[in-house]
Amino acid sequence: MTGSSLPSAAASATAPPATAPPATAPPAAAPPAAAPPAAAPPAAGQPPLSPPLSKIEQAKAELCGLELAPRLEELGRQGWEALDEATLTIRLKWLGIFFRPVTPGRFMVRLRLPNGVIRAEQLEVLAEAVDRCGEHGSADITTRQNIQLRGLLLEDMAPLMAALEGVGLTSRQSGHDNPRNITGNPLAGIDPEEFLDTRPLVDAIQAALLGPAGPRNLPRKFNVAVGGAPDSFLLHNDLAYLPALRAGDLGFTVMVGGFFSAQRNELAIPLGLWLPAGQLPAFTLAVLRHYERAGNRQQRNRSRLMYLVDQLGLEGYRQAVLASWQELAADLGPELGGDPAAACPHDGSHLVSRAPRDGLGLQPQKQEGLHWLGLHVPMGRLDGEAMTELARLARTHGSGELRLTEAQNALIVNVPAERVEALLAEPLLQRLRPDPSPLQAEAVSCTGNAYCGFALIPTKGTAQAVLEELERRVELPHAVRMHWTGCPNACGQPYMGQIGLMGAKARKDGQMVEAAKIFLGGSMEAEPKLAELHDKGVPLSDLPDVLEELLVERFGARRRTSAGA
Amino acid sequence: MNPLVSAQPSPADLPASGDPARWPWLQRLRRDPALTVEPWLRAIETGALTPEADLLTALAAQLDAAAELRLLRWWAAQPSPDPRLPALLGRHRDPRLGAWLLARLQDGPAALAAGLAPVVAEGLLPLLGAQRLPQAWPVLKRWLLAPVAGPLRRAALEGVAVGLPVWPRADLRGCLQGLAADLDPRLAAGAVDLLARLPRSRRLLLPLARRGLDPSVALRLQRRLAATPVQPLLLVVHGRSGGVLPAEVLDLAQELEQRRGAPVRLQALTAASPPEAGSWLRSGPQLTLVPLLLLPGGHVRHDLPAIAAHWRRLTPLLRLPFLGAWPRWQAGLAAEVQALAAAHAGPGLQPLLLHHPLTTPLAGRYLARLEQVSGGRAHATPYSAGELAEFQLPRSAPALPLALAANRFTDRLGDRVGPPLLQRPALRQLLLEELEALP
Ligand code: HEM
Ligand code: SF4
Repeated sequence: MTGSSLPSAAASATAPPATAPPATAPPAAAPPAAAPPAAAPPAAGQPPLSPPLSKIEQAKAELCGLELAPRLEELGRQGWEALDEATLTIRLKWLGIFFRPVTPGRFMVRLRLPNGVIRAEQLEVLAEAVDRCGEHGSADITTRQNIQLRGLLLEDMAPLMAALEGVGLTSRQSGHDNPRNITGNPLAGIDPEEFLDTRPLVDAIQAALLGPAGPRNLPRKFNVAVGGAPDSFLLHNDLAYLPALRAGDLGFTVMVGGFFSAQRNELAIPLGLWLPAGQLPAFTLAVLRHYERAGNRQQRNRSRLMYLVDQLGLEGYRQAVLASWQELAADLGPELGGDPAAACPHDGSHLVSRAPRDGLGLQPQKQEGLHWLGLHVPMGRLDGEAMTELARLARTHGSGELRLTEAQNALIVNVPAERVEALLAEPLLQRLRPDPSPLQAEAVSCTGNAYCGFALIPTKGTAQAVLEELERRVELPHAVRMHWTGCPNACGQPYMGQIGLMGAKARKDGQMVEAAKIFLGGSMEAEPKLAELHDKGVPLSDLPDVLEELLVERFGARRRTSAGA
Repeated sequence: MNPLVSAQPSPADLPASGDPARWPWLQRLRRDPALTVEPWLRAIETGALTPEADLLTALAAQLDAAAELRLLRWWAAQPSPDPRLPALLGRHRDPRLGAWLLARLQDGPAALAAGLAPVVAEGLLPLLGAQRLPQAWPVLKRWLLAPVAGPLRRAALEGVAVGLPVWPRADLRGCLQGLAADLDPRLAAGAVDLLARLPRSRRLLLPLARRGLDPSVALRLQRRLAATPVQPLLLVVHGRSGGVLPAEVLDLAQELEQRRGAPVRLQALTAASPPEAGSWLRSGPQLTLVPLLLLPGGHVRHDLPAIAAHWRRLTPLLRLPFLGAWPRWQAGLAAEVQALAAAHAGPGLQPLLLHHPLTTPLAGRYLARLEQVSGGRAHATPYSAGELAEFQLPRSAPALPLALAANRFTDRLGDRVGPPLLQRPALRQLLLEELEALP
């Protein structure tokens, strides 16, 4: 650290906003049980949430972004410059619409694709939305098995939302302080190694969360995931359900508190509860209802679930969640509220034992005679044309269904043996390869500076160039997971990489240049571990040399002898 | 710590680019609810501080319109302005900001000769569009259509894109349709994409398909057309006895189906039963019922409601007015009448519009209107077999049969009155294009 003084983080106390409760009100630890979530400003007589609300909390309390849905067309006609800051940068995210400061006027839409499942006709709707944005349009497969579209005009939103609904898609509550896309085993239902099919569970949880009893105003974002196979590594989620046995029954052990941020990185820890599959939706609702009420709304950088677990202690947190569940079950009845008596104490042991498979290439499904083909999507970025083609391939050679992985790749599933040859001959496979190099296969990257004003390096471009250079230099016996991220915000999950890279600046020959921090040792195996800082700034120009050395020393790479030598 | 005495973050404290402390520092700056921007503006204007993109990203949300205007002024005056900065500014719609942008760009590309740097124009054109001032339209158009470098014209098109709903519609359509054939395929592609965003875009896009476009633009046009929703059509025609459909009607339906890429079905009033409801009904969100009937007679008043009720039980239905009431159809008839008059020039030879007898006042008003629009004179003619045999055309005036397709009347008197309307190339083409452009 330098001696520079930081802007005051506590300055929110200086200007009490008009709608906030009086500053003399006692700080409320937890409002009474039946109090509805803070979707509206607290009415007189209701206990205040806390000392004055921050700008963000105020905006959320004044008007829920979901209320904007019927007004989208009108907003499009008015144009985004006519919107107030809170609507533009906060509330629209409840509809999955993101103002991008680096491309003002060109918006992003993030969908929800539960379990990363998408059908050809759905992908075609997205392809069209992106394609009509021309040079501005593109789509990213995200690290939550999801898709986000870029380059859209605000006027596009009303028709796009209608088109999404028409094919059974939604972008609802996919950003900001909401439960994000729920991930599951990308191979669910076709996986010869799966313990169970995660799709119906993920769908049911999403239905519960978006339903009338779901949260509308969480203190912060919230990630939920369901594991179904030995490689379902999910400890980076706030709430992860890992397949686990209890007295011979297959169910789930509950893991809580995983997250990455600029300030702190944690893997989820066992809550000490085991649940049968049918209870996941109700339990998730209970966890979120409790978090909505008890989570930290004063400091946004101390509000992810793990801070609440810290605050209450693991035991205290478990009791609080179970109490929340009792109350939920009483409120909603067994249909939606589940059966809290079904929860059993558990030691947290589970059946997940290895890092995720990449799923790439042609692989046999558990269904006799069917295959899936995993295609590598470089840096997860797609254009309209590639999306249209992917949809066509899925329709003509498979069942019309595709899956997206957390490594930002796409799988075409249910390909009968007699279609395999034709599929493998498709020209798209030159661009999206089934057999990328071991470095490319699982490379993950955040957006970087084309769309993000805080990126310290052009993440995707740098990653692609460096990987291509390394491919020319070395041969690897197996895949190495490299996670690239443009700045300390860590959207690209550098701590999960076997090699993590983070945009930085460094001095070279007296000049300040673009650089990357290197993290090493992230593991998603049986003994999961977060990567640790190895080098605090390698100039990008030196990066291929340094990484080549690392790959040779630590990952068994062999230098290619140049053809002439 | 007492927040009231906490120091304002000052430009002098900003860690240098490359300092690891800079990133978190900027994050706090961005979120600081009590930030005073004045010292930051002054530091930039006096050259004490270089506003790199990361700093401006952090400041952007804190700037009001006046502050943005100051920074844009400063930026435009730089010897080599950073092209990334203007996109981070201009977030407010504001009269002074708008006026300033307009003044910079007003003269169109002539301003370049007068010293406006291309990079400045390129940065400001999208911002001008975003202000959505009606006066900006001619300015954007000037840049768009001028023989200047591609990036400048594309910046103007982005200006058009971000203000799309406010430009005068007819002029906008014409301008974009012209640009779709531009030699710069990127510009042409952008124009096609914008046309696709306008209401009833099929009507705007279809004519482009018949022009020689750059191959990549033509493909883009195909994709846009494929995505504009097309409903299945049900064409209700009179039909011949026993439900027989005249060849020209079948032919029209077939070509239409091909051009629209969506099902087209025919229902004859004279048929015993409607066409079968099959999966074709579900090829679009609703069924469009198009009454290809020429006169507001009994069929329109009684049969059509019954037909509509039948289909409405099966699918959401959009029922269009009967063909005779479509202004473009009436204009087409007028052209046909005038051509007829021109060919038979002579005093008092006002062409006749031969029509089935009609009885209601409504029908009378309709015929009066049609006479007015077309310049022809309505003349009721008998249609029954016996009467037809007796029928004599009055005088030797030229006549147009108000029959869409071949019927008893045109069978019998075709040599005197010419072919039914659908057998006339101009009217057939008009009808085909109208039907093709329906949603
Ligand atoms: C199958 C036997 C029928 C034949 C051959 C026949 C013939 C025609 C013809 C040729 C027209 C000229 C208008 C046009 O092309 O749009 C016409 C219109 C007309 N028809 Fe028929 N028609 C038949 C059934 C009926 C029936 C059952 C009615 C009465 C309920 C009727 C009443 C009328 C009327 C009032 C018009 C005037 C304009 C209109 O409604 O479109 N027709 N008919
Ligand atoms: S990690 Fe940083 S650069 Fe990358 S997307 Fe997140 S905020 Fe932007």
